[in-house]
Amino acid sequence: MPRWFDPRAWWRRLRRLWRSSLPLRTITATVVLSALAAAGVGIAINISVASSLFEARRATLLTLSQNATIQGQRVFDDLGGQQDLDLDSYLREAVSTILSAAATRPGGTKYALQLTPGANVPVASAQTNSEDLDVAAVVSPELRAAVQADTEGRIYSQSVALPLANGSTVPALTTGSVVDIEGVPYELYLVYDISDTQQSLSIVQLALASAGLALVVLIGAITWVVVRLVVGPIQVAAETSRRLADGELDVRLPVHGDDVLATLARSFNGMAESLRAQITQLAELSTVQQRFVSDVSHELRTPLTTIRIAGTVLHDRRAEFDPETARTIELLHTQIERFEALLADLLEMSRFDAGAVALEIEHVNIARLVEDAVASMDALAESKGSELRLVAEGGFFEAEIDPRRVRRIITNLLGNAIDHGEGRPIEVWVDSDRDAVAIAVRDFGVGIAPEDLGRVFDRFWRGDPSRQRTTGGTGLGLAISLEDAVLHGGWLEAWSAPGGGSCFRLTLPRRRGGVLTSSPLPLPPGEAEAGEVEAGEREPAAPRLATGRASGRRNRR
Amino acid sequence: MNARILVVDDDPALAEMIGIVLRSEGFEPSFCADGAEAPAAFRSVRPDLVLLDVMLPGLDGIEVCSRIREESGVPIIMLTARSDTTDVVGGLEAGADDYVVKPFNPKELVARIRTRLRPAQRSDRDVVQIGDLVLDVAGHEVRRGATKINLTPLEFELLLALASKPEQVFTREMLLEQVWGYQYKADTRLVNVHVQRLRAKIEEDPDNPKLVLTVRGIGYRAGS
Repeated sequence: MPRWFDPRAWWRRLRRLWRSSLPLRTITATVVLSALAAAGVGIAINISVASSLFEARRATLLTLSQNATIQGQRVFDDLGGQQDLDLDSYLREAVSTILSAAATRPGGTKYALQLTPGANVPVASAQTNSEDLDVAAVVSPELRAAVQADTEGRIYSQSVALPLANGSTVPALTTGSVVDIEGVPYELYLVYDISDTQQSLSIVQLALASAGLALVVLIGAITWVVVRLVVGPIQVAAETSRRLADGELDVRLPVHGDDVLATLARSFNGMAESLRAQITQLAELSTVQQRFVSDVSHELRTPLTTIRIAGTVLHDRRAEFDPETARTIELLHTQIERFEALLADLLEMSRFDAGAVALEIEHVNIARLVEDAVASMDALAESKGSELRLVAEGGFFEAEIDPRRVRRIITNLLGNAIDHGEGRPIEVWVDSDRDAVAIAVRDFGVGIAPEDLGRVFDRFWRGDPSRQRTTGGTGLGLAISLEDAVLHGGWLEAWSAPGGGSCFRLTLPRRRGGVLTSSPLPLPPGEAEAGEVEAGEREPAAPRLATGRASGRRNRR
Repeated sequence: MNARILVVDDDPALAEMIGIVLRSEGFEPSFCADGAEAPAAFRSVRPDLVLLDVMLPGLDGIEVCSRIREESGVPIIMLTARSDTTDVVGGLEAGADDYVVKPFNPKELVARIRTRLRPAQRSDRDVVQIGDLVLDVAGHEVRRGATKINLTPLEFELLLALASKPEQVFTREMLLEQVWGYQYKADTRLVNVHVQRLRAKIEEDPDNPKLVLTVRGIGYRAGS
C-alpha cells in the first residue's frame, strides 16, 4: 500500500490538526450545531407543510367522491326501472358518470365497485373495477369494514400506495362509500393518484433543504470570518511568544484600539520588555563571570607555571640537599601537583557553571576509546593489585561523542574504582545498541553506603574521609563527569551494594542530539541472576538526577 | 651549535624560569616580552624554534604566530593558559605546530621542543610520490610538476608519513606519535587542524580532497 494512503497516518494527522487548530474546532462546532438546528427546523416545517397539503387535498377529494357517489346513485336510481337495459351498458353508464364526476385529470382516478358481502343479490352480480386496478392492494380490510358498517352515507378515506404497471408505486388516496343498486348495497371505491401533491411537497422539501444548506454554509463562512478576527491576533501573539522564547527579545505585539486584545498586547509587550531587561542583565553578569573565570585562569596559571618549573628543577636536584630540605622539596612538589589538579578541576567546573563549554564531536569507536583508557590506567591498577578486565560485547561501537570528555569520564571512573577496589579485579563493560552506547565500571570493593549513594555526584563530597587517596582526587571528579555526560545528553548512574562493590554506568546517545530511552547495559552488568536480589540497593535518584539536568542544561545553552 | 629558542612571554618570572630550564638543557634562549616587538625579534634572532604565549601585550600570540608563518616555517609551540577551543584551535589554525598548557611540566616542554628540533625522520627512499606530488625527502621539498609548494617542516613530515605508506590507514593517535612525538593520548585537534592546513596547501580543491583522505571514524590515509 502506498505510504500516503496509510489510513492510520491520515487519522493521526487529522487528530493533530484537530488538536492544534482552534479555528478548525470552532468552525466545525458551529457548523455542526447550526446544521442540527437547521435540520430540526426543516423537519418541523416539512411535517407541518406535508400534513396541511395532504389534509387540503383529502378534503377536496372527499367532496369530489361525495358528488360522484350522489351522481352515481342518481344514475343507478334512474336506470333501475328500465328493464330492457342490459347489465353491462347499465354499469358502464353509471361508472362513466361516476368517473367524470370524480376525475381530477384524465385517467387519474380508478374505481372499484364491490358487492357488500352478505347482501341479498336479486340480479346478477354487478361487481366491476378499473382494468388495471389491483383492488386488494388499494382497498384495505379496515376501510372495507368501515364502509360496510356505515349507516349515514358518509365517505371514508385512506392513504395507500398505488402499484403502477411498471412495478413502482405512487401515493394515492382511496375513498369508499355505499351505493344502492336496486336495493342491494354495493361499495364504491375511488382511488385517486395524488403524486402531484407529493411533487409539490418535494419542491417545498428541496427548497427547505437548499435554504438550510445555504444557511449552514453562510454560518460557517461568518464563523470563519469572526474566528479570524479573534484568533488572528491570538495567533500573532502565539507566534510572537515563540520568537521571544527563541531569544528574539525585541519582538513586540502591535496594539490597536482599546479592546481586550489590545490589553493583551499591552501586557504582553510589558512582559517582554521586563524579560528583555532581566535577560540582558543576566547575560551581562554571565559575561562578567566568564571573563572573570578566564582572567583568573590566566592570572593564576602563569605564576603557578613558574612555581611548578621551579619545584621540578629543585625536585630533580633534591639529592644535592640535606634530607630535611629534600623532604621539604618533595612535599612542595606533590602539593604543587595537587594544587594544579584542583585548579584545573575548579576552572572546568566554573566553565560548566558559566555554560561556556561546547562539545567537540567526532566519530569515535567507543570500544577502542575504552581500550585505550584502560591501557593508560593499567600501571596504576597494577600498583594497587587490581586487574582491569575489559568486557566488550559486539554492537554498534561507532558514536558521535567528544572523545576528550568521554575519555576523561572513563579515566575518572577507573581511578575511583582502583582507589576503592581493595585490590580486587575491576571489570569494564562496553556495549551498545542502535541508539546508545554504554560503559560500566564495576569494582568489588567495600561499596558505598546507601545513604551516601545519592551524594556521590556532589561537589567536594568525599565517601570516607579516612580512606587513603592515591589518584589525587580533587573531590570534583564525579561532578565533572556528570556534567560531561549531561553535555552529551547522556546519563551517569551509580549503583552499589555495601560490601559487594559499586558500579558506575555511563550511557550516551550514539547520535548527536539523540534522546536516551534505555541503556544497552544492565546496572550492574553481568549479574542477571543477582539483579533482583540487589535491586533494593539501587539508587533510584541518580538516573533521574542525570537525565533531569540534561534538559535543564539544554534550555540554558 | 646550540639551538636558538625565542621565548615570547610577558611574564618576566616565567620567562626567566623557562630560560634557566632551556639553558640547563643546552639550548640558547632569547626573550621578547611584547607581542608587537615579536616579529622584529624573530627576524633579528633567527631562532630554530619559537615558544609563544597566547596572551601578550601589544599583539596577541595568535596574530604573532600568523605573522611569523608568513615568512617562515620555523617550529612554533604555543604556551596557553586555556585548553578550550578558542585559544588552542586559534593558535593551531594560525600555524602553530604544537601547544603546551600552563602549568606545564618542564620535562614535557623540553620533550616537545626536542621533537620539533630533531632531524627529519629517515625514509628508505629519497623521493616519495603521492598523487601528482613529488616529495624530495633529503631536500625537504614538495613539487607539483615544476612548481614548488612551501610546507612547514611539520606539514612535510605529516605528508611524508602518509605518503610513505599509501596502503595504510593512520589513526590520529598514530600520527600524533609519529609526527608530534606523543607517547600518550594527546589532543587529536592537532592532527585535524594540521590536516586542514596541509590540504589547503596541496589539494586542488581542499573541500574535496584527493591526496589526504579522511577515513571516517578511523583517521587518514594517502590518496592515489
